[in-house]
Amino acid sequence: MRGNFGYFEDDRPGSFSAGAIWKRILVRVRPWWKSVLLAVVLSQVVVGAGLAIPWLVKEALDRYITAAGLAPAERISGILRIAVLFCATAATGFAANFFQVVVLERCGQEIMHRLRQDLFARIISLGLPFFDRQPVGRLVTRLTNDIQNMHEMFTSVIVTLFNDILRMAAIVVILAAMNPVLAGILLLALPPLFGLTALFGRTARRLFRDIRATVAALNSFVQECASGMSVIQIFGAEDRVRSRFDELNRDNLVRNLRQIAVFAMFMPVIELFATASTAVVIWRGGSRVLEGMMSIGALAAFLHYIRLFFQPVREMSQKYSIVQSAVASAERIFLLLETTQQEPQGGGRVPRSPAGAVEFREVSFAYDGGPEVLRGFSLKIAPGETVAIVGPTGSGKTTVINLLEGFYRPGRGAILVDGVAVDELDPAWLRRFIGLVSQETLILPASLRENITLGRDIGEAALARVVEQARLGPLLSRMEKGLDTAVGIGGRVLSAGEEQLIALARALAGDPGILILDEATASIDSATESLIEEAIATTLAGRTAIVIAHRLSTVRRADRIVVMEAGRIAESGSHEDLAAAGGRYAAMLEGERLRD
Amino acid sequence: MNPETKRRLRLLFSLFRPRLAALAAGFAALLAVDAMQLFIPRVIRDAVDGIAAGSADEQSLFRQGLVIAALGCGVFVCRYGWRRLILGASRQVERDLRARIFDAVLGLDAPFFHKNPPGSIVALASNDLNAVQMACGMGLVALVDAVVMTLACIGFMLAMHPFLTLIAVAPLPFLALATALLSARLHHRFAAAQKRFAELSEFCRQSFAAIRLVKAAGIEARQTRAFGRIGRSYIRDNLRLATVQGALFPFSGLMGNLCLLLVLLAGGRLVIEGAVSVGELVAFISYLFMLTWPMMAFGWVAGLFQRGMTSLSRIMKVLDSRPVMAEPSEPLPLPAMDKGVRIELSGLNLDSGPGRRLLEGIELSAGPGLLGIAGPTGAGKSLIAAVVARILPVADGCLFINGVDANRISPAAWRGLVAFVPQHSLLFADTVRANIALGRPDAGLAEIEAAARAAAIHDEIMAMPAGYETVIGERGVSLSGGQKQRLALARAILSDKPVLVMDDPLSAVDAATEQEIIANLRKIFRNRTCIVASHRFSLFEEADRVVVIERGRVTDRGSHRELAARNPWYAMVAARQAMDLKP
Ligand SMILES: Nc1ncnc2c1ncn2[C@@H]1O[C@H](COP(=O)(O)OP(=O)(O)O)[C@@H](O)[C@H]1O
Ligand SMILES: Nc1ncnc2c1ncn2[C@@H]1O[C@H](COP(=O)(O)OP(=O)(O)O)[C@@H](O)[C@H]1O
Ligand SMILES: [Mg+2]
Ligand SMILES: [Mg+2]
Repeated sequence: MRGNFGYFEDDRPGSFSAGAIWKRILVRVRPWWKSVLLAVVLSQVVVGAGLAIPWLVKEALDRYITAAGLAPAERISGILRIAVLFCATAATGFAANFFQVVVLERCGQEIMHRLRQDLFARIISLGLPFFDRQPVGRLVTRLTNDIQNMHEMFTSVIVTLFNDILRMAAIVVILAAMNPVLAGILLLALPPLFGLTALFGRTARRLFRDIRATVAALNSFVQECASGMSVIQIFGAEDRVRSRFDELNRDNLVRNLRQIAVFAMFMPVIELFATASTAVVIWRGGSRVLEGMMSIGALAAFLHYIRLFFQPVREMSQKYSIVQSAVASAERIFLLLETTQQEPQGGGRVPRSPAGAVEFREVSFAYDGGPEVLRGFSLKIAPGETVAIVGPTGSGKTTVINLLEGFYRPGRGAILVDGVAVDELDPAWLRRFIGLVSQETLILPASLRENITLGRDIGEAALARVVEQARLGPLLSRMEKGLDTAVGIGGRVLSAGEEQLIALARALAGDPGILILDEATASIDSATESLIEEAIATTLAGRTAIVIAHRLSTVRRADRIVVMEAGRIAESGSHEDLAAAGGRYAAMLEGERLRD
Repeated sequence: MNPETKRRLRLLFSLFRPRLAALAAGFAALLAVDAMQLFIPRVIRDAVDGIAAGSADEQSLFRQGLVIAALGCGVFVCRYGWRRLILGASRQVERDLRARIFDAVLGLDAPFFHKNPPGSIVALASNDLNAVQMACGMGLVALVDAVVMTLACIGFMLAMHPFLTLIAVAPLPFLALATALLSARLHHRFAAAQKRFAELSEFCRQSFAAIRLVKAAGIEARQTRAFGRIGRSYIRDNLRLATVQGALFPFSGLMGNLCLLLVLLAGGRLVIEGAVSVGELVAFISYLFMLTWPMMAFGWVAGLFQRGMTSLSRIMKVLDSRPVMAEPSEPLPLPAMDKGVRIELSGLNLDSGPGRRLLEGIELSAGPGLLGIAGPTGAGKSLIAAVVARILPVADGCLFINGVDANRISPAAWRGLVAFVPQHSLLFADTVRANIALGRPDAGLAEIEAAARAAAIHDEIMAMPAGYETVIGERGVSLSGGQKQRLALARAILSDKPVLVMDDPLSAVDAATEQEIIANLRKIFRNRTCIVASHRFSLFEEADRVVVIERGRVTDRGSHRELAARNPWYAMVAARQAMDLKP
């Protein structure tokens, strides 16, 4: 396998500025500001407790342990008093720390849950053209790994980041109050520090963006292989799949190593800043003390504050890679969340008295970047009419249905349902009105009942009727829990024909105004098929139906048969007319006869 | 140490072994950083002392500044070194472990994939692997750092005052015990959260893979709600996890404070009794302060390691999985095939779960030539095809090739003999050409085209934007149903195996194309063994023999004509399909 499994490196071209990403993150955090604030306050308590403990120790030493003037018993009881305070402080610190973790986890999870839900809802609302181009694995990666990545930043960084900035600011303020000159000198270190951070930030984001792309590519690949393993094994393609996987895996490693190399440079550089300023202060400051221009106390204080000042800087730099990685994930997520290519929303119109009239008017259509599939396709179906579409594979039969369902927009021409253009119809209504048994059957991992009702409110009587019509009896008799048997992945495996029967029951259960069967009985034996035909004959009466099939026995009873060829209608008429006309349909019949 | 932990450690060691040198160098650099960092404050103190004592001059200060700067550079280099070496090694371990997971998955068969859907395998190879990598990278660094710092501090303390040291370390066994208990909890809760994460991935995957159903049925909102429910459970799992995690990390800090308190009480008394000088106690306590950070780091590391271990055991479950169709202990060579291949099924029973018989007493023999399998929907035709393709395992003595039991032949060797067209055409997001050449990567374009012609798809491929180099979407989304089917057929034809198993291969193909393909296949049927399950009886007219399967049993067998004349079900289907012929 050597195709481009990453498809395109990006979900779509384009990127956000760092500011734009942070703005979006903050908007999502805002509803939870109280929790975040609580977490910050709790973390201040933790910091306070951490500072109070050395102070208590110092107090114990100064006041009691070294207080030779006091009686030993008094000294001991003094120590015990402090010990009580000590215990209380330590316990408070512990409790605050515990609650900080829990509070932060809770609001982090809630924020990420919201984000995940919004993203899922957005993705699932996008049109089929979007899904044609996106590997499923990548979308899944955005919803799982990328969100997880953001969560990681949220719980392990946000509050500490806040504290560190607070600490830095406090030190600068204290310093400015104590010794404005020293503070000024120290502040001189800030511009290069920020410049450096910004520079690394930009590089890091590019690196992490690359990593997100390889992670998504790897996930898509693993997922695709896991889905098609039986074929890979039968065709002995393991080695090739393996070497393609190795390539992706190596790409991912190389990009991660590159990121490590960059951060291996960045963090020590920050440290070097601190050490170098210490060295300069010792040399220049020391000389000034010797010259009598500066007091030794000031020098000592200065050295102390350099340490204090760089402590948070160092800690922030430690977290910097987590932040950058999360920002890269956030960028992917927000780009996807703001993808504009949506389903045609339509005008939300609903026909006043839907009867099931369908009209294709000179419709031309090409899939994204492909050749024209439909060329001036025109077809008018009266309410209640059953029209069969036949024609060679690839002639555009399924495409006609795709357009009628509003999955894709026609390039030219118009499609009307009961006189209203599909573009203007409410898609939810339209899809409820049309009952589609698509060519590719899909079974959800759920009970048989759920697979048929799909959560719609369908009475037991109606359910029993569709089960009967779709000939599910023999299948149900083999299922120990009947309709409540779990099927699909993790449940009972069904045969392809059984899946089609369920898809049929599903479509019938919606009591559709237009029923579409797209090769819906291709995997069903003819005996069962004719039983189904009889069973749904009453349902079909008075309903519009479009039946696509290759077996002519399936279509011959239709009111009208339409023969498609290369995106156009080649001929149409009743079975008898067409057979007599000596055109393509007659040739198809002849072809079948030749087999005898 | 329980055997489970031992096995995990053995696995980790085997992953680390190729990188021991890099790791050793990395940790040496890490220790050097620690040492140099302890040294810098001394230089500073000397300098300040010198200034205070008036013994310093411009030159000595410059020298001391230079020493500090040099040490700073040394720290820089060593730090850069360990980050690249140790973190790099952890990424390489990640890569290797991912490759092992993938290898294991490549070797597994249908029963495994039934229990482990693709989404959960992806979660394993991303999310769980991430937890392992974190433990192997920053976790290991923090651990070594903490151990070194702790040992150094305890060493200094011991040298200073053994009795106080004993008191200081007295709470440590409790810390160890509590950490062990909390870790065990963490294990269960983290395992639950990871499992839920896999569920989340799989749900997304299914929803997007079934997007056409979701759209056509208008169940977007329902899916979103269901996704939200899993998400809610995930939140709950993580909160349960956070209560352990939230306790584990600060708890070690709390224990550190307890050590401090004990020393303060005992040491204070000793000072008051005059047994210890104040200076000694202050120095001792300053070491204890130095211990606070590594103690807290232990809590953090314990959490990280437990997560890593939990994820590792989830991964090992896959690594330990064995295919049901394992390599036989003494594989027999393939039998001679110069007179053609004969596949026999004898007394084949297939169950899925107790009392759920899918196939019962299947007796049939195929080849050379064409064997047709007919039967109603859900009768078991696909099951027989899957058994012959060795997708589904069978018991000994059920499946034979030229008289040799399939279970005595290596599955890979068997697959080398059989080409398969599955009922659901499984295609990959790759070029048309690569999809056809899946079984024969060395095939030239001429051969590929010939196979495509035989499957009557060549012209349509040429009409695609890039011909044979056109990339088809995932699972072939950009193709029509019949095109997918014929690509799968071309793939099987190209692979040129002595046995061809086809499961309803032409169901989405129109009659004219079907005739064309059958005419092409006729040449292939002649010198090969073909087994075809189908609902289209036109194929069976070519067959040497047709068996009828009903409810998992063979109920009839004979030629197409015989069955059409004798078997009521067969006759009815044949008549209906013949109805097409009469205008
Ligand atoms: N999602 C898609 N993207 C690009 N091309 C497509 C897509 N779906 C179908 N096609 C192409 O459009 C043509 C008509 O397909 P379709 O309507 O499915 O044919 P059929 O008549 O067999 O149902 C085929 O050549 C197919 O390759
Ligand atoms: N892998 C499997 N595990 C368990 N049951 C299965 C499996 N595959 C198919 N079945 C069940 O066995 C029966 C026969 O299936 P199948 O052979 O696919 O039917 P068909 O004759 O239509 O091809 C079906 O009822 C199906 O539910
Ligand atoms: Mg189609
Ligand atoms: Mg089947």
